[in-house]
Amino acid sequence: MLSSLLAVSLCFLALSVRAGSDYHERLLLRPLPQNALLASFNFRSNETSSSFERQNFRYFPRSLGQILQHANTKELHLRFSLGRWDAESWGARPWGGAREGGTGVELWAWVDAESETDAFARWLTLTNALSGLFCASLNFIDSTKTIRPVMSFEPEGNHPNMSSPNLHLLHGTLPHEVVCTENLTPFLKLLPCKGKAGISSLLDGHKLFDASWQTMSIDVRPVCNTDGSNCVIEMEQTVDMVLDLDRSKRPRDNPIPRPLPIEEIECDTSKSYNSQDSCFPLVKTAEPSWSLSEIFGRPIKGACPITGEEGEDGETVCLNVPAERNVDIKTNGGYAEVRRDEGLLRCYKLPSGEDFDITLPEQSLPAPLLLSKPPLTAARSINGHGQERGSVQAVLNNPSDHPVSLIYLESLPWFMKPYLHTLRASIPGAPASTNPIKETYYRPAVDRHRGTHLELLLEIPAHSSLILTYDFEKAILRYTEYPPDANRGFDVAPAVIRLLPPDGNLNTPLVFLRTTSLLLPLPTPDFSMPYNVIILTSTVMALGFGNIVNLLVRGFVGADEIDGWKPGGLKGALRARFEKLKARWFGKGKKDE
Amino acid sequence: MSLITSLLALRRDARLLKIPPYLSALCVLVGIGWLLVLPLQEYSRGTYVSENALLPGQVHTYFTGSEHNIFRAYRHEVAELVHQPLEGRNQRLAEILRSSGLKVATQNYEYSASGRTISGQNVYGILQGPRADATEAIVLIAAWRNMDGEINHSGVALVLTLARYFKRWSLWSKDIIFLIAGDSTAGPQAWVDAYHDSHSPASIEPLSIKSGALQGAVAIDYPAGPWGHRFDKLHIVYDGINGQLPNLDLFNTAVSIASGQMGIGCTLQRMWKHDDSYQARLQTMLRGMISQGLGHASGPHSSFIPYHVDAITLQTVGDGWHDEMSLGRTVESLFRSLNNLLEHLHQSFFFYLLMQANRFVSIGTYLPSAMLIAVNFTITSIALWVQSGRAPNPPSPVSTNTKPSEAPKMIAIDRDGMVALIPEQYLTIIERKLFLPLAFVGSAHFLGLLPLYIFNNTSESSLTLTFHATTFLTLLLPQLTASALSLSPYRPSAQETILIQCLSLLLLGMFLSALATLNFSLAFLVGILATPLTFVRPTSSRPIAGLQTLLLVAVNPLVVITLATSYWAGGDVSQLRTVLVAAAEGWHVWGLWTQVVVWLVWWPAWFAESVVVAGSLFGKVVEAKSVKA
Amino acid sequence: MAIDKQKAILFGAAAAVRLLLFTAFPSLPNLLTGRVEISTPVTSFKRLQEGLFLYTHNVSPYDGGVFHQAPLLLPLFSLLPNPSTQPFATNLLYTIVDLLGASALMQIAESGQSVSSRLFTSPRKALRWSNIAIGASFLFSPFTIATCIARPTSALANFFVLSSIAKATQGASITSILALAFASYLSFHPILLFPPLLLILYDAYAGSSKGPSNPLAFSLVHIGGLAAALGMLLYLSAILTGSWEFLAATYGVRLLLPDLTPNVGLWWYFFTEMFDSFREFFLGVFWLHILSYVGGLTIRLRQQPLFVVTSLLGIFAIFQPYPSIADSSLYLALVPLYRHVFPLMRYSFLASSTLLYASFLGPAFYYLWIYAGSGNANFFYAITLVWSLGLSVVVGDSLYAVLRDEWEVERPEMRGKEVRRI
Repeated sequence: MLSSLLAVSLCFLALSVRAGSDYHERLLLRPLPQNALLASFNFRSNETSSSFERQNFRYFPRSLGQILQHANTKELHLRFSLGRWDAESWGARPWGGAREGGTGVELWAWVDAESETDAFARWLTLTNALSGLFCASLNFIDSTKTIRPVMSFEPEGNHPNMSSPNLHLLHGTLPHEVVCTENLTPFLKLLPCKGKAGISSLLDGHKLFDASWQTMSIDVRPVCNTDGSNCVIEMEQTVDMVLDLDRSKRPRDNPIPRPLPIEEIECDTSKSYNSQDSCFPLVKTAEPSWSLSEIFGRPIKGACPITGEEGEDGETVCLNVPAERNVDIKTNGGYAEVRRDEGLLRCYKLPSGEDFDITLPEQSLPAPLLLSKPPLTAARSINGHGQERGSVQAVLNNPSDHPVSLIYLESLPWFMKPYLHTLRASIPGAPASTNPIKETYYRPAVDRHRGTHLELLLEIPAHSSLILTYDFEKAILRYTEYPPDANRGFDVAPAVIRLLPPDGNLNTPLVFLRTTSLLLPLPTPDFSMPYNVIILTSTVMALGFGNIVNLLVRGFVGADEIDGWKPGGLKGALRARFEKLKARWFGKGKKDE
Repeated sequence: MSLITSLLALRRDARLLKIPPYLSALCVLVGIGWLLVLPLQEYSRGTYVSENALLPGQVHTYFTGSEHNIFRAYRHEVAELVHQPLEGRNQRLAEILRSSGLKVATQNYEYSASGRTISGQNVYGILQGPRADATEAIVLIAAWRNMDGEINHSGVALVLTLARYFKRWSLWSKDIIFLIAGDSTAGPQAWVDAYHDSHSPASIEPLSIKSGALQGAVAIDYPAGPWGHRFDKLHIVYDGINGQLPNLDLFNTAVSIASGQMGIGCTLQRMWKHDDSYQARLQTMLRGMISQGLGHASGPHSSFIPYHVDAITLQTVGDGWHDEMSLGRTVESLFRSLNNLLEHLHQSFFFYLLMQANRFVSIGTYLPSAMLIAVNFTITSIALWVQSGRAPNPPSPVSTNTKPSEAPKMIAIDRDGMVALIPEQYLTIIERKLFLPLAFVGSAHFLGLLPLYIFNNTSESSLTLTFHATTFLTLLLPQLTASALSLSPYRPSAQETILIQCLSLLLLGMFLSALATLNFSLAFLVGILATPLTFVRPTSSRPIAGLQTLLLVAVNPLVVITLATSYWAGGDVSQLRTVLVAAAEGWHVWGLWTQVVVWLVWWPAWFAESVVVAGSLFGKVVEAKSVKA
Repeated sequence: MAIDKQKAILFGAAAAVRLLLFTAFPSLPNLLTGRVEISTPVTSFKRLQEGLFLYTHNVSPYDGGVFHQAPLLLPLFSLLPNPSTQPFATNLLYTIVDLLGASALMQIAESGQSVSSRLFTSPRKALRWSNIAIGASFLFSPFTIATCIARPTSALANFFVLSSIAKATQGASITSILALAFASYLSFHPILLFPPLLLILYDAYAGSSKGPSNPLAFSLVHIGGLAAALGMLLYLSAILTGSWEFLAATYGVRLLLPDLTPNVGLWWYFFTEMFDSFREFFLGVFWLHILSYVGGLTIRLRQQPLFVVTSLLGIFAIFQPYPSIADSSLYLALVPLYRHVFPLMRYSFLASSTLLYASFLGPAFYYLWIYAGSGNANFFYAITLVWSLGLSVVVGDSLYAVLRDEWEVERPEMRGKEVRRI
């Protein structure tokens, strides 16, 4: 429970720290069960809105700032994600899920524009510019992948003209986009220390993208005082990843997980059959050993010089381990260690200009670190088989002992046509009269123009799970509309779930949750056939048409009235032929005479 | 157009009606001959992998060393579980899977077929691929008991070991599901049904955890006991339910990895000794066709194929020098190949007949044989239709050489003043009385529903008895019906008898040609066994009719089933019971179509024809003569 | 009153069969509703349900890609109880619609238009089937029953077409025009039946005691009537939905084929495989192709307008953008009216067995493509080709037979002789 408080407090840190220096970075390391390690990087830089307007950037990256100004974007949230968060064994998500996105790329922004069309035009500008900036195919976010959520998202910043209708929220996802190093490099470029110093020096593509789960986020929002004075444009970048210690400790030159020599495996000698040729492997209970340089391939290259010195801002690296865990620091520079939360959290002030490495030896602990329970778990899958129709089933489980109300957002591609009248939300064990769907917002898809947008306000009682199902039909596309690997199917964006605060108070942090994306196989035409199809179909139509026209325009005449055509079927025909031939022969003969 | 009209002119020609019987006979002979030439090297092709992403055998496999010790340990564990109750057994298996870091769940299932209840529990674990986003998955299956009912010791142990080994790799771009099914047929069926949510919730438990769309499944059948057993060959089983086959690429990948990379010989269709001779190839093909035609589950993989999940079973046979690790490496390499897939397997063939592990015939080559068989029925029915349309002594309206002696009776037609003389016979149009034949054939097909229902719902003990009773009845029924009809006011006229035969043959041909695209072998077998129906005719002479009746008795579906069973079982008639039980189980568990074909396609056709023949036993001779073309 | 007794028995049996199927197999309606051969995107009952749901929840059903059916269906079906919970009312409605259609068909048969219109009387007029037989052939044709069970809205359109023809043969111009307006409003293409129907009406008037008015005025009046009726319907729909956007969502879809869901017709695969730059062109060509039949048939077969209607329905069943077996069932219901020319048809057995084969192979191949995954789209496409070919053979052959029949009135001595066409 403590650590949950901690996560929350970190969120607070991220969201509430206004004063202090203009640049702040922090790395939180938390060992997780099954040899996993959560590394959560957070970078934050402020720019006073006045200097932002004057394009006078200090820590705020100019490239991004200009894009935002050009597209009149007031608030921006961009996510690159990969893999799955295993809530069952890893507990609650970092930042309460507020800093992560669905698989692939997710982008939502508040754009300032007079009309919806202007807003959309500016949104397109934004996506195109960002795709250039981050080497991601964000420019594929077109009208069919863009929705305008009404309940799910609220601006994190304080906008003076929040009430004005000119602020448009647009949201787009690219579930099929594969996040990789080419997205990380520009991400690092945006940082003041560019990965040369500070915690960002740990970020290395090979390690980052070998993680079991990782997400990168960029959030830009205006932050003002309560009276709306001295606003700052705050940009926050986070990288959260869960590393598999065994995998990431493997040396770069020998990444293959060869079977260990039998000596290195500890066998269960209590087994009757235990001998030198059969060995039942014991499950390790001790906490594994690791060090920064092992798992990230390099130590931290000293502090980023522009971070704040004093107070919490200075404590750049925090380690969340039980108090009795041994930790030794390897560095030649001077560093400071502060313990918080009854020693559960050890924060370090980095030395400047000196390498800094944390090493934890293997150690068996009396009690493992208590992880906070996830407030909600969600699983979504496609039922049925065949390429004609199917049904989506989402199972939302509320393990907590108080009812949860949440907003469920689906953004479906147009070629997946849901039938809303088949939407059922059932809670096993609950009386049938209770309808968990409190509110519904539905915007049906229009072929080739707009995707489906479904938002539900749901309520789940304590210790119960809700099963949401609806049928859908699959459209068959024109053969030019299929991607190169058409038979793989199309990815359907993950559903976004937002938990509403229990008692409606707004200063509680946002809690988000995303399901996995779905694979939607569509019926495929034969791509090699256009000419054949055109020819064959035309032939059939021509046969029908020709036959009828033929009948309409030509009249009848008795067969025996035509000379040259003897009736009598085959015989008649043959005889006709024969006589012709005979005539010719004799004709010849006559000539000769 | 004019060509067609002249052909139409020919249609009236009397000689034309003599051809069809020979034509159908020709079709049948050519169809059979066609099948017989397929095993020749010239007509079959060598297999090849057409999906480029698979890259079979291109990766080095590392499943060796200490994994072997762990495998032996797991095999001992499995051996200890044999005598434990189901729950405890699966708890232990789940424990082992969980200890290698998988998400584990269990599923209970219970079917009831022919009075027995088939119940059990599946346990499965999902390895979440580090590179995967839960959209695709591949399945590794080991049934606790294999098709022969032996405990699958080494298979289960191998799955457990591979689960632990695969977990270490970071290259999986698809989830891997390790399924230990309660048995070889019902367990996988229940699991895959529940995975696609097409199960009946009453008897089958839904799956608590799922992954993405299944891309392929491989089952291991290696029943060597706790002290191991070195095998000689891999027997690759590929038939699915209702004769549906997996994509040939999967089979080819398995073969090329096993034989090419691991040096393990591959065999199929229980051909333990396959010298690359014509006989051997023919035998392989025929065995393949029979097992395809029966459409039963031939292994744990079979249940996956109807869901468009390509699946095979690797079965170890013989005594040789290959050990479990080489099988494990084969599976590892196979999964690495499947892991490479970008798309669902779609490139290669889904319709094929295999001659041996690396020669096959594709649909384009073999389909004509079944189609010819089906066409022979259609030809005859067309002929009968034309024949039925001709009056007892056909007026040949086209014949110009009408002898003047018999001047046709003329009618004067008076139309606005002018008078035209018209021979009367042109005004007589031969009516086809379609109602009775349609009704009869339709009811014959509906009658088939009765035995279908009975055989799927009688209890195991009384199945054999019911079967014999039904055989007796069906053999008697045509005679009874015929005599009843001949006495009843609606006794079929000659034309109606012909039409009955015509329609039933038309339907038979149509069903068979439709079936040939779904399950070639079944269509072919039924077609062959039904060919006598083409040639029986209502006849005047009772001895001929008697002979025909005997012939029909010989090709009665139930008689054929009995004979075939006793032949395969070497004269052991009790095997009939197992066949019937298996059929009922297939109906209730796998959704087998074979009975439907037998009872609603084959049997009605047989029945209609037998009635026609029996009719000539009871019917008047004059009529029969009059219709003889 | 034996006829009435028989009729009562027939209708009772037909209704019983339908209601029995509805009740005995509760899953059957949904199964058939899902079949692409029966319900198309513009007639599917499931899509109607969706539209109804949106309509009752105050979402415009036309602001989406699912619902493409006429607006006035919405209030009609919103009156009925929810089919998923208590389906009986809906089932009853469709059963009754079928029965009414059958009675209309029997009225057509009674009128004897098929054998002897005003300008033409077939020499084979003796050879006819009774009304009961014709009604039975419609009510018990498996296509009609399947259509009824699957509850597509084309069943309603079929009923309106039939009643419009029936009224036309009786010379009741107002009801006939009104029914035609409804039919065209529901499924658009029946409006092409107007010329032959006008002729039927005209003949009816001319035949009746009060002499025919001047043809021009007559046709103008009826065109006006049709326009008024259609305008009224469209205006009502506009009021109902609050905007005119339903036009694009219903008739626009039928014209431009944005939804390429497979069906038994020729359009879907053609436009799936069509190059984008030529799509509009070929849409135009296909529509012109359909239009071209109307004039030709009407002029050539001036003497038998009812047969023009029949053939046009057959042509629609083949060549319209979203055909289904519902359209085929309508055509095949009218063909028996021409029993007297059956002896002149040359390919009847061939055509009927082709249709039979296609209707069995079609589902098999569709299964192979969509579910088994072992076949590809060409399998089903090939069968749709065969099906269309079979139907067009029936159309052409019946046309041949009727023309031959006409010709033999002039040349009685040519009966049963070989003929050539020049």
